[in-house]
Amino acid sequence: MTAISERPALTPAEQPHTSKGRLIVNWMTSTDHKVIGYMYLITSFVFFLIGGVMALVIRTELYKPGMQVVTNEQFNQLFTMHGTIMLLMFATPLFAGFANVIMPLQIGSPDVAFPRMNMLAFWFFLFGSLVVLAAFLTPDGAASFGWFAYTPLSDATRTPGFGGDLWVIGLSLSGLGTILGSVNFITTILCMRAPGMTMFRMSIFSWNVLLTSILVLLAFPVLAAAMLALFADRKFGAHVFDSAHGGAILWQHLFWFFGHPEVYIIALPFFGIVTEILPVFSRKPVFGYIGLVGATIAIAGLSITVWAHHMFVTGQVLLPFFSFMTFLIAVPTGVKFFNWIGTMWRGHLSFESPMLFSVGFLVTFLFGGLTGVMLASPPMDFQLSDSYFVVAHFHYVIFGTVVFAMFAGFYFWWPKFTGKMLNDTLGKIHFWILFIGFHTTFLVQHWLGAAGMPRRYADYASEFTGLNELSTLGSFLLGVSMLPFFYNLYITWKKGKKVNVDDPWGYGGSLEWATSCPPPRHNFNSIPRIRSERPAFDLHHAAEAQRAAEKFSVQTVSTKKLEG
Amino acid sequence: MQPPGMAPGLHLWGRQSVSPTRSRERRTPVRGRRALRSATTLALLAMAATACDAEQWKRIGYPDPASEQGDRMLSLWQGAWIAAIIIGVIVWGLIIWAVLFHRKRKGEEGLPAQVRYNLPVEILYTAVPFVIIGVLFFYTARDEAQVEKITKKPDVTVDVIGYQWSWQFDYLGDTYKKADGSPISIVGTPTSPDAPGGTAQGQKPVLVIPVDKTIRFNLKSDNVIHSFWVPAFIYKKDVVPGYVNKFELRPTKVGTYEGRCAEFCGLDHSRMLFQVKVVTQAEFDDFVAQQKSGGAQ
Repeated sequence: MTAISERPALTPAEQPHTSKGRLIVNWMTSTDHKVIGYMYLITSFVFFLIGGVMALVIRTELYKPGMQVVTNEQFNQLFTMHGTIMLLMFATPLFAGFANVIMPLQIGSPDVAFPRMNMLAFWFFLFGSLVVLAAFLTPDGAASFGWFAYTPLSDATRTPGFGGDLWVIGLSLSGLGTILGSVNFITTILCMRAPGMTMFRMSIFSWNVLLTSILVLLAFPVLAAAMLALFADRKFGAHVFDSAHGGAILWQHLFWFFGHPEVYIIALPFFGIVTEILPVFSRKPVFGYIGLVGATIAIAGLSITVWAHHMFVTGQVLLPFFSFMTFLIAVPTGVKFFNWIGTMWRGHLSFESPMLFSVGFLVTFLFGGLTGVMLASPPMDFQLSDSYFVVAHFHYVIFGTVVFAMFAGFYFWWPKFTGKMLNDTLGKIHFWILFIGFHTTFLVQHWLGAAGMPRRYADYASEFTGLNELSTLGSFLLGVSMLPFFYNLYITWKKGKKVNVDDPWGYGGSLEWATSCPPPRHNFNSIPRIRSERPAFDLHHAAEAQRAAEKFSVQTVSTKKLEG
Repeated sequence: MQPPGMAPGLHLWGRQSVSPTRSRERRTPVRGRRALRSATTLALLAMAATACDAEQWKRIGYPDPASEQGDRMLSLWQGAWIAAIIIGVIVWGLIIWAVLFHRKRKGEEGLPAQVRYNLPVEILYTAVPFVIIGVLFFYTARDEAQVEKITKKPDVTVDVIGYQWSWQFDYLGDTYKKADGSPISIVGTPTSPDAPGGTAQGQKPVLVIPVDKTIRFNLKSDNVIHSFWVPAFIYKKDVVPGYVNKFELRPTKVGTYEGRCAEFCGLDHSRMLFQVKVVTQAEFDDFVAQQKSGGAQ
């Protein structure tokens, strides 16, 4: 391993100029974790845009009561595919994207443990997703049984179309990719950390990648099993999910045993991104690092004990148990909030785009957490379940986490990815349009749901018109917010300022800020000594870090004396 | 962020009460609905109008409950919001405080104190949430037990049968048997959301039940999963093939209430609608007599 640091540097800039075809072949055959990570990021972002356009069509249809734009069947296909795309083709692979690019850098590794399996995982994900999407080309269109595919609605009798088969088999394939990717991440983190990088010096993002990958291994095999059994029911006449012997509830148990950890699979890595960003723009270390790791472990553990809170209204689950376990998750989540606030507290905060998006995440996700506690209480869930309140709640949680943190991560690591800084003013415009658009779209949906509007309704009673209009207008604003981002990408590509330092933000803590932008093929020409959870900060601010540490220790000593 | 956001919603609950399909006693008068076409004016008007609608503010989106159980769940909902707002204000307050007052000032040199741990504070913010969820769980468990309670002898028992995509309501027991021995049965067809209740094609099936009596619902399906939701009862329960779900409630207010299928059930899910008409015992007896003699409702 140490031999690598002695190798002569070979940065991409020094490589001979190659043609576009050559570049494509290079990317498609690459086993470099960074290139695979970029492919994940690009592909999942494209799926995000496709899912987003579907959302806009859905919102356009819901602008007025009655059917104007699509038919009932098309509407059902749209929300089914919107959910499927956003959860399994956007958020999950986006985790794999960020984890692939950033995690090996943060632990000081030259690559991942299984580069070729890593690549295989990406192609499984991509082809699986394309199989699901290809259903739009079949005569009956795509799957239309909702993204949780409740049996018996999703069986061959109720949904005979080929779209359903493609959905089942495509997701099985892409799920296998996710599983293989996670095996790779876990092995990499456990076996390939740089000398001195102990587990408790590892960045929070890398910790969260580890715990997320463990959750993937717990959840996705269950999904795969359920999917293949459903495929057997659909194609070979098996009776696994026959409602005559309780198959309707069996599917829900299996699906949500995957589905609830899945929520944390797509949340934890993005909590991690935010936890990386807040200290840099507060010029302080993470507050309560060990407590934060403990909270994340607690969330990961609890997340596999709460699946049946999605089933409170089925009348077939033990309400108090699942209610209480769900309430318990509020505790470590609350701890995280105070860690984030503690990190910002009395810092020297500055609000470049990554920080702005991170604070946007804090503000948004908090509301999603508060409404989540209400949903965890069965007497409230009886009214709110399957209503627009739930739609609003999980968009606050998932959009608030994944999308806000994704953009925060893009602005934050863009110089590390490409060697160029994104334009900060455009980033701020992007943030504010996105923020206002998001809250206009989803805040009012809480009250639509509480007042009685069910989710997945193509048409609704005229009493709900006003709030739906407002929500649709908000969603258009949300869509418009992508324009400054695209322009930013273009202008940065054409005229962006080159980054010549390792850490353009100036206060980066984790190891990726101790190598060039972009990093060389094997990530580091030399690795600094790792003596804390902020090796890059120690390297760049040796004197100041020392002074601050002394000052702090003096403070602690004097407090101790006072207490004594 | 919270109060301005709530305002448009609150006004629209007002609109709900003037819906032609929700005729009821004690209704606020129709207020210039036509004028409220544009969403922007609507939001602004809402903020002005909500001041005089204290009752709706207090319900935070819920309909006026029409059952004993609903009143209980409304109280829990209100309590939960009070707790949520208090916690929200504290946490948002801390975030905004840091954002406003702990900014890097111009010309500020050096680093802030590099605080990494503060054990007393960490213990405090780990312990306090346990107390909060403990209290919430206490009320949750208490109300849930009440709401889910099944009595031995309900006054009226109705079989609710869900199919793609409407409802059938069968009244159980000898009292409700027609001359030929079959039960009184209301059978619906898929309808548009603003259709009136009735027995004709394209009208919502109407379930008639007496006020201040305990009504038992047995939920059955032999096809896909549906969910029986009457928002004014603040309650829904899934209709799951292979299982019979039961619940009871005691309507407290005479009126007609909208009901909707809440579990996605295929093509015409959003057309699987019905109404519940809560009537006095005398009216209910008339309804039963009429049904027995085979007359239309």
